[in-house]
Amino acid sequence: MGSAISVNSLTKRYDDLTALNGISFDVHRGSVFGLLGPNGAGKTTTIRILTGLTRPNSGEATVLDYNVAEENQLVKSKVGVVPEASNIYEEMTALGNLVFSGELYGVPSSERKSRAMQLLEVFNLADRARDTVLGLSRGMKRRLTIACALMHRPELLFLDEPTTGLDVQSAHQLRDQVRRLNKEGVTIFLTTHYLEEADQLCNTIAVINWGRIVALDSPENLKASVTGDRVVEVSFSAPVPEDGLKRLPGVVEVYKLGDKYRLRLAGEGDSVSDLVEYARNRGSRIATINTLKPSLEDAFLKITGTTPDEVSRDKVQPRQRRMDG
Amino acid sequence: MREQLERALYIARKDIRVYYLKAPNFTYGLLMPLALYLAFGVSGNLNAATLISGLVSLVVLFGATSIEAVAIVSERTSGTFERLLVAPVSLRWVLLGKALGGAAFGPVLAILALVPVTLLSGAQVAGHIAVLVAVAVSSFAFACLGIVASAYSKWIPEAQMYSNFLRFPMAFLGGAFISVESMPEALRLFSRFLPLTYSIEALKEAMAYPLPTVTYLLDLLVLVAFSAGCLLWAERVLRKRLA
Repeated sequence: MGSAISVNSLTKRYDDLTALNGISFDVHRGSVFGLLGPNGAGKTTTIRILTGLTRPNSGEATVLDYNVAEENQLVKSKVGVVPEASNIYEEMTALGNLVFSGELYGVPSSERKSRAMQLLEVFNLADRARDTVLGLSRGMKRRLTIACALMHRPELLFLDEPTTGLDVQSAHQLRDQVRRLNKEGVTIFLTTHYLEEADQLCNTIAVINWGRIVALDSPENLKASVTGDRVVEVSFSAPVPEDGLKRLPGVVEVYKLGDKYRLRLAGEGDSVSDLVEYARNRGSRIATINTLKPSLEDAFLKITGTTPDEVSRDKVQPRQRRMDG
Repeated sequence: MREQLERALYIARKDIRVYYLKAPNFTYGLLMPLALYLAFGVSGNLNAATLISGLVSLVVLFGATSIEAVAIVSERTSGTFERLLVAPVSLRWVLLGKALGGAAFGPVLAILALVPVTLLSGAQVAGHIAVLVAVAVSSFAFACLGIVASAYSKWIPEAQMYSNFLRFPMAFLGGAFISVESMPEALRLFSRFLPLTYSIEALKEAMAYPLPTVTYLLDLLVLVAFSAGCLLWAERVLRKRLA
């Protein structure tokens, strides 16, 4: 299995800001590759370079065996790009948008309409073919954006945060479609904030932080790399002070997640007994308690040094960063 | 190159559908120059041919620049411009497609203005085809000017400000209201740097003579060179901004 993407020592600077700092990685043909990282880590910059929108200051990237800097147009003709924000023309119909994509990518005129109708069927938009995009829901727009990127049957599809802002059902449908495309042989390059999504879809994950690749492995291997500490998720029948939890023996970190607390514990102490007693002393009791296996989120947190709260609320705003990716 | 041209034409057709065939564009493109003309042009001592060529050139100027300047900025804001850039069409051809879309709008407005004004004034048009060619070339040149304004702008009001900054002085110094010949020498020299001057002059020549004159051909040549310069300029600016 050859490489669909090969990136070697890629560096991109914007004035005094280094957005990418010598990153290198390979994406195998036919795989789903996830690029994860906090906001401003360099994800979108990487996609912009790989799709020919931005030139790197140094380093080299090949996409489908074409040098991105030198054979820009060939790369563009072979890949599909779905940006973070839907980029379809709201004044045009769903069908019109697809046909226009076909025109831009040189799809033969005899095939444009039939391919467009086929994609509308696949993405459950056939009944809205002649409606202007303005009247479509967010999920429909997202599906149409992906359909537009597939009009020329690309070998490689870049998906930048494909499910951000979608309801659960639409996001689920989209993930199914990504799996189906991959099954059909399309290589997928995905960036996402949703670690569970990456866990479900990706064969390989690269974690980027401050413009550097800080981890590159399969989701399972990344999770397995988080060892040593135990993680316990606990909820109480009545509120208890968070500060006290932090002072319990063996507790390293405490995060509040909705109505629960997630505690990272070090050592082999009897933390459950401590928690039971802590709750009882404050007129409460343990409602639920679970010992968690390390998740991809745990691996991500350990690697990037962010908190679950920042990840789940998409609040990671590293200092001095102004780029969107 | 054939492929690139074909895709540029698809971009032009898309722009015409999305941006130009809207009632407000027609009213703005016609009413603004007409209002200016009624305010400043008709009271002067200009003959019918000068009046008509001035009005038509203004209509083309306002029609082609107004939407072109705004369309690219609005596409850059909405992300749809990036859709064109990730496609296998080079930026130069994308901009050419945009200019062609804008250029197609000018002649429609020009005809809407030209026919009633010519009939009402009783002016004779000697070279009909030459008039249409002059309108088309002028329209393309002004669309390219709009693209330059848009290349420098991040927001729609900024683009409107730049295009007004270019259009209004040009309207007064390009010979639309006062003939260039009657201007002081410094202004006359300055007017030679304005594309509107060549547009008006080409239209006047086309209205006066049945066959293209040397002046007419030179005017068109200047407008074509101006267009090419604007496109290359805009491409350079956008390349820097998008890098």
